[in-house]
Amino acid sequence: MVVTASAEDSSRRYPQDLVARRGRRPSEPQTLHYGSTTGMTSTVSLERPPKPISRRDSLATIVAEVWHSRDLVTQFVLRDLTIRYTQAVMGFAWALLMPILIVGAGMMFRVVVATLSNTPLEGSSIASLAAKALPWAFFAGALSNATQSIIGNSNIVGKIYFPRESLPLASVLAQSPDLAVALVILTVILPFIGVGLSWAALWVIVVLLLLVTFTVGCALVLSCANLFFRDVKYIVQVALNFGVFATPVFFEPQMLGRKGAAIMLSLPLSPFVQAMDMAMIRGHNLLDVVTVATKKGPVVVWSPWMLAYALASAVLALYVGVRVFRRGSSRFAEMA
Amino acid sequence: MTPSLVFDGVWKRFRRGQIHDSLRDLVPAMFRRIVGREPADHVDSRYFWALRDLSFEVMPGEVLGIIGGNGAGKSTTLKLLTKILEPTAGLVRTNGKIGALIEVSGGFHQDLTGRQNVFLQGAIMGMRKAEIQRKFDEIVEFSGIGDFIDTPVKRYSSGMNARLGFSIAAHLEPDILIIDEVLAVGDAEFQAKAFGRVQGMAKGGAPVVLVSHQLDRIAELCTKAILLEKGAVRTSGTAKHCIDEYLHGLNLNRREALVTDARIQFHGIVARDGLAVFSGEQMTVVVHGTADVNDPPRAWTPAFRIVDPKTGHDVHSVTGFQRGIPLPVRGEFEYELTLQMNVPPGVYDAQAFIWDSETNRHVTSSERLEIEVFEKMQFYGGTQMNTKWSAAKLASPVAAVPPSKHTNGRRSA
Repeated sequence: MVVTASAEDSSRRYPQDLVARRGRRPSEPQTLHYGSTTGMTSTVSLERPPKPISRRDSLATIVAEVWHSRDLVTQFVLRDLTIRYTQAVMGFAWALLMPILIVGAGMMFRVVVATLSNTPLEGSSIASLAAKALPWAFFAGALSNATQSIIGNSNIVGKIYFPRESLPLASVLAQSPDLAVALVILTVILPFIGVGLSWAALWVIVVLLLLVTFTVGCALVLSCANLFFRDVKYIVQVALNFGVFATPVFFEPQMLGRKGAAIMLSLPLSPFVQAMDMAMIRGHNLLDVVTVATKKGPVVVWSPWMLAYALASAVLALYVGVRVFRRGSSRFAEMA
Repeated sequence: MTPSLVFDGVWKRFRRGQIHDSLRDLVPAMFRRIVGREPADHVDSRYFWALRDLSFEVMPGEVLGIIGGNGAGKSTTLKLLTKILEPTAGLVRTNGKIGALIEVSGGFHQDLTGRQNVFLQGAIMGMRKAEIQRKFDEIVEFSGIGDFIDTPVKRYSSGMNARLGFSIAAHLEPDILIIDEVLAVGDAEFQAKAFGRVQGMAKGGAPVVLVSHQLDRIAELCTKAILLEKGAVRTSGTAKHCIDEYLHGLNLNRREALVTDARIQFHGIVARDGLAVFSGEQMTVVVHGTADVNDPPRAWTPAFRIVDPKTGHDVHSVTGFQRGIPLPVRGEFEYELTLQMNVPPGVYDAQAFIWDSETNRHVTSSERLEIEVFEKMQFYGGTQMNTKWSAAKLASPVAAVPPSKHTNGRRSA
């Protein structure tokens, strides 16, 4: 019953420290010695669950394993895309539906705000709305698919071994053609609505790479969490429905005043969204500080720190995601 | 030689049900725990040990059969072998690439075509794309799917589904092969082909772990076996020994309504040399009991039968009257019967009884003893004839070719 660290056993190292093995009937032994790679050994009753032997894979191992299964990820992506596009009558028009809906909703919001505050509607606002709708549509679409990715494949997760990271990873990557199509179409349309592209637009590539990384990290955590708590998917849906208001998609940060803008821009997804507007539509170099003059004085709407913030959150999300996922994945087959 | 597969004191514990299925349950539970109204540790009975102290080794070239009833821990063992599950304690060590013939069509998506599914399932099983491309024609040919390969899988019959899945798995070229009940897919012809393929892999030196309820397959393929019961090893050794033990356990567990009569009682029916026998070979059954009959009816006679449980018909029955065996009247009695099992492979029940030839009824009967008849030399038809076939003269001698090589002309490199 009592967990005791025994000194005489401390020289034993896993796996040789499993001493309660041979010579005893399986029904009889109630104690089991086990330890970890640190060399510590303890005695616990089998009636009480022994602590699982924690096997911590190094990041390099995990990356190598996922890289080794890249063909599998490709197959999962192809499967998801084939099903999404060959079945649907609208085909690739689906890729545009989400951004268009978001732009539409944003326009209504803008018109209401403009009417109430008696300010004229800016001409470039539809372009910046569209640019900001893209990362949000990607994030929302990828996460709602990825949250279900382990549960939705429980038939194979419980039966066949493969690096489980490939499932949420593929769900996120399967969302990227939508993003690419929408991005190309937006780029083509921009000159017609009077927005010229500058070299600063190349920042979009960096921003989107960071966004994909951040999304993969979130997807790993949520797909894992949804397996252990089946109501996570509802929470994610609700969060994604209203989360758009926690990002400056529908409005400009300066609308909220100086303090409001600072708070708005400190929310996790804001740098990605705001950077799209800044680099693609406004043509700002993302290494510069951008301020907008308002009636109440100048408001900072972009600073290089936000780029660093995006980088940090992407790296952190991925790291936490990989760790949480690996920790949970040893129990996937039991839960799925 | 180092073993390809080692199970060293492996324990695996599962939770009965789930503690918190949703956050909605978790949050109140955590609150209660903080407040201290619920002990931090959960009741021990929520856990059960699916595997208890399981140790075995498989050397290259060995074929290990795992047998046991439902819930004995067979599938858990295989899942630990394939890394799907991790042991609670103990060590699972594998040396080489594992190919698992488990759920061979599990990764299929119904809306994708057979071709697309070959690539998907192949990738899930760990094949690289180039490898699948190289073997694609061979896989399709083995499966016998033919032109339907570009049809969505949802239009396949379940047999086609399983055949295609097996064909993909059969082309894995693993270092260690793990098979769970997949040899029963498709029709008889495909089963023979699949069995030949597995046999070929085993003979090629790859260690094999096989789980099957087809005990005759175990007997034929496995060089050794373990019998699991409630997660622990009951016995291990040769396949036949384990199967005997297994069938013996089944017979002990059998509780069926028997015709009984207080005057003559059967106390036991046992197979002296084991419950498993090769078709065409002899087995001995011993029956014992007690009798206390004051005025034995003339129509009563001891009898014995072998029943095919699938049809319920007697494949053989014999009475003591025909053989000059008297009816037991007083005290203990024991019969010994030796039978030449000239029946096709399968499961049969042996039963002793007292027959009333006037009323055509069983007066009293023993428990049924389940006997497994294995295939030694393949044959078709309803009767084993122990055919000896020698060729005195042949115009052109033909070299013996293993069956798997008949299936197609192309061979993988």
